[in-house]
Amino acid sequence: MSGAWHRRVEAMGTIVTLDLFGEGLDVVVDDLATRAAATLRQIDRVFSTYRDQSPLSRLRRGEATLAEMPPEVPRVLDACREAHRLSGGWFDPWHLPGGVDPTGYVKGWAAGQALEDLRHPQVAGALVNAAGDLASFGDLGGQPFRIGIAAPGDPGALTGVVRLTGALATSGTAQQAGHLIDPFAGAAAARAASASVAGPDPGLCDALATALAVGGDVVLARLEALAHYEGLVVDADGHWRATRGFPWAEAPPASLSR
Amino acid sequence: MRRAPLVLAGTVAGLFGILSFRSSPQKITLSTLPTTSTPAAASTTASGGSGSGTVGPAAPAAPATTAASGGVLSATGPQVNYFYGVLSVRVTAASGHITKIAIASLSDGAYAYSHYVDSVSLPMLIKQAMAAQSAKIQGVSGASYTSAGFAQSLQGALSSLKLS
Repeated sequence: MSGAWHRRVEAMGTIVTLDLFGEGLDVVVDDLATRAAATLRQIDRVFSTYRDQSPLSRLRRGEATLAEMPPEVPRVLDACREAHRLSGGWFDPWHLPGGVDPTGYVKGWAAGQALEDLRHPQVAGALVNAAGDLASFGDLGGQPFRIGIAAPGDPGALTGVVRLTGALATSGTAQQAGHLIDPFAGAAAARAASASVAGPDPGLCDALATALAVGGDVVLARLEALAHYEGLVVDADGHWRATRGFPWAEAPPASLSR
Repeated sequence: MRRAPLVLAGTVAGLFGILSFRSSPQKITLSTLPTTSTPAAASTTASGGSGSGTVGPAAPAAPATTAASGGVLSATGPQVNYFYGVLSVRVTAASGHITKIAIASLSDGAYAYSHYVDSVSLPMLIKQAMAAQSAKIQGVSGASYTSAGFAQSLQGALSSLKLS
């Protein structure tokens, strides 16, 4: 019987939700979820900046070299280098307090890695939501997934609803003022209350959303020129700008755009 | 600004999105809960997290369910330790549709941050959970938020309503 299955995983200091859609998944869903959870747990062990003894923490303190890292660390840093280039320098893990910190890429990437564990012939669609960074494949019985974009500064509202194909990440100051660092100024800064990026690669979406929140319209212009990635910037007062191809299912009123 | 749906972060909305898909796009039907209320995968996969806000079941008071008149049911989820204290969530449902979510108990110690949690975070989570049943969405993208304790107690309350 066709239906939806839902599992929650505590990882990376938050809850990651796994949603699977398909036929008769009862017999496989727990195996798939357990695999995805193990993947998330492993990523947390390697990349956590909160764990003193994680490989990344040791790298940041200079106690270990890149050559001594698990293979996923240089792979992630390579991807960060590419994200840095695509963002015009606005995503920069190498110019953060405390040493190299790829966290702005890792949560989205982790969602994508967990998603790979959910692939199975019976799974028609799956959705991994790592506290706001989403990765997906397939759909919901022929309908695309619909994901709300939280309105910054207004807990009572969504900015709009997005048709999700692939990944979607949102970054902003709504929850943690001051955690976004302007790599050019070297200080906390944000030019958007909330910034979202949709595209095929979850890690890159996460990194570009971070860059977009910090850089604002400059980065939005870069996204307009970048194939397959779309961006949205929302100000604290609800005004928004988006790339022309942004995948709205329900766009906010045009009067709020400018 | 789209006013009707009231949502902030993904955790609880994800849960409700699934519920609404399984039954009908408009509302939660409590009979669909078996697919979502099995905590097995979640609890066996807890990593402890890397930052704050990880939770574990505390003082596992069994969820309490109350039947009232006219098919209205309510249940209180277990008291759950969250990073800043202990909370439990109470859910009221009528005709298989959630009508109210409230904080049944909250003890937040003396943390400086707890005022923020009480006055801002919990109302957000309640609105989010209520909204997810009408917004026809499968999740929410927003700046991250740790709402593990809320989700855990809410899930307990929902499971117990399904059993009633």
